[in-house]
Amino acid sequence: MEEQKKKGFPYIKIIIGLAASVFIILVLTGEKTWFSDEPPLQVVDDMDNQFKDKAQVGNTFFADRKADRDPLPNTFPRGGVQYPLDKSDFEKADSVNGKNPLPASDFVLARGKNRFETMCSPCHNNDGQGNGEVVKRGFQNPPNLRADLTRMKSDGLIYHVISSGQNIMPSYADKLSENDRWTVIHYIRKMQAEGVQEVKQTTK
Amino acid sequence: MFSQEIDKKIKKISLLVLSIAGVCFLIGYFGLHNRVTDVGYRPVQPVPFSHKLHAGDMGVKCMYCHTSVEKSAHSPVPSTSTCMNCHIAIKTESPKLKMVRDSYENNTPIEWKRIHALPDYVHFDHSRHIRSQIDCESCHGKVETMGVVSQFKPMNMGFCLDCHRNPEAHIIPARPISGIFTGIKANSYFDSTAKAVLAKVEPMTHPQFGAFMSEIPKQEVEGIPTPKHPGYGPENCSSCHH
Repeated sequence: MEEQKKKGFPYIKIIIGLAASVFIILVLTGEKTWFSDEPPLQVVDDMDNQFKDKAQVGNTFFADRKADRDPLPNTFPRGGVQYPLDKSDFEKADSVNGKNPLPASDFVLARGKNRFETMCSPCHNNDGQGNGEVVKRGFQNPPNLRADLTRMKSDGLIYHVISSGQNIMPSYADKLSENDRWTVIHYIRKMQAEGVQEVKQTTK
Repeated sequence: MFSQEIDKKIKKISLLVLSIAGVCFLIGYFGLHNRVTDVGYRPVQPVPFSHKLHAGDMGVKCMYCHTSVEKSAHSPVPSTSTCMNCHIAIKTESPKLKMVRDSYENNTPIEWKRIHALPDYVHFDHSRHIRSQIDCESCHGKVETMGVVSQFKPMNMGFCLDCHRNPEAHIIPARPISGIFTGIKANSYFDSTAKAVLAKVEPMTHPQFGAFMSEIPKQEVEGIPTPKHPGYGPENCSSCHH
């Protein structure tokens, strides 16, 4: 009896060991179990997915399936300000945009630096002298913002260029709010005061 | 083969082993497996966009594309026109970008697959967290190292509360790659003044109103989100479950 009992036990150890190792291998390790391109499992779908419109989600009610509707022609969002000038209206830029309404405070300059390094640096580089990472990959090199060409331009004209674009540069009106554009102009002016420098800074 | 006694024993043992394995499987699959916690969800996107190339190698900031993240609750997937800011001149013939060009010309959106999705009964406000100078990495991981983006954190209620109760241990302060505006003093999240403010505050000052929340600073310039002083996140139910 005693001997026979002992015979039975190694099986459990082996089976438990195997089950445990398979379990650990399957669940805890390996790329195939760690990453999955299948949508997550919903064991209990409480009220996780409610029948309502959410931002940037498709909607079968409309034929084009856009839940975020395009604005109607000749309208713009409530509270939104549309930039009034066309890309080619350089002459009107000064009279329409006027002078920089913000003071060149530390806060404004910090914001301008932050926005410049976020929105402008891919092409203009962190130092504003061009040859950013996107330019290195084949984009047209923008003029040096510290050089005379931009320094001679008025605030209103630079505002116009940011708002509606110039040459191959696209409009940044959707990415920079009105006051953000003015902070960027303050920061450009600050860089221009430092003058043209040897290239040291990079986008990264 | 075996005696009756042993046969019974084997039956009992195999039943036990099977039930243990079954319980392990249930716990593992429904409790720990990534398909339940959502971690590692890595869908195949319609356009093979690489965050590693754009953000990691080229240093384009997160907020270049995910623009309104500091102003709205929803962090948007950028419109196709954002892609075309550069790709109007770069890789104009690339077959991988055909869908982007078609989308731009026909004014039809690209149907990106959503990875991070909270339940609909939770309100998460990106802008509030960005203004607290919390880096994207705290929740999304180092996206600039991901060729294909996958979910990094489980994003369940425990994950949220861990951070709300003990922000210092979990939060990664804003990094330059994110493009988060940190105010005059960069990365002031854990500086000495911030720590002094945190030290003075009891996390649960009043159970009804939840934790201390730092005051929203006065807006210095209209339209520019002012970075706020750090504090504990709220813990009352209605701050997330409106």
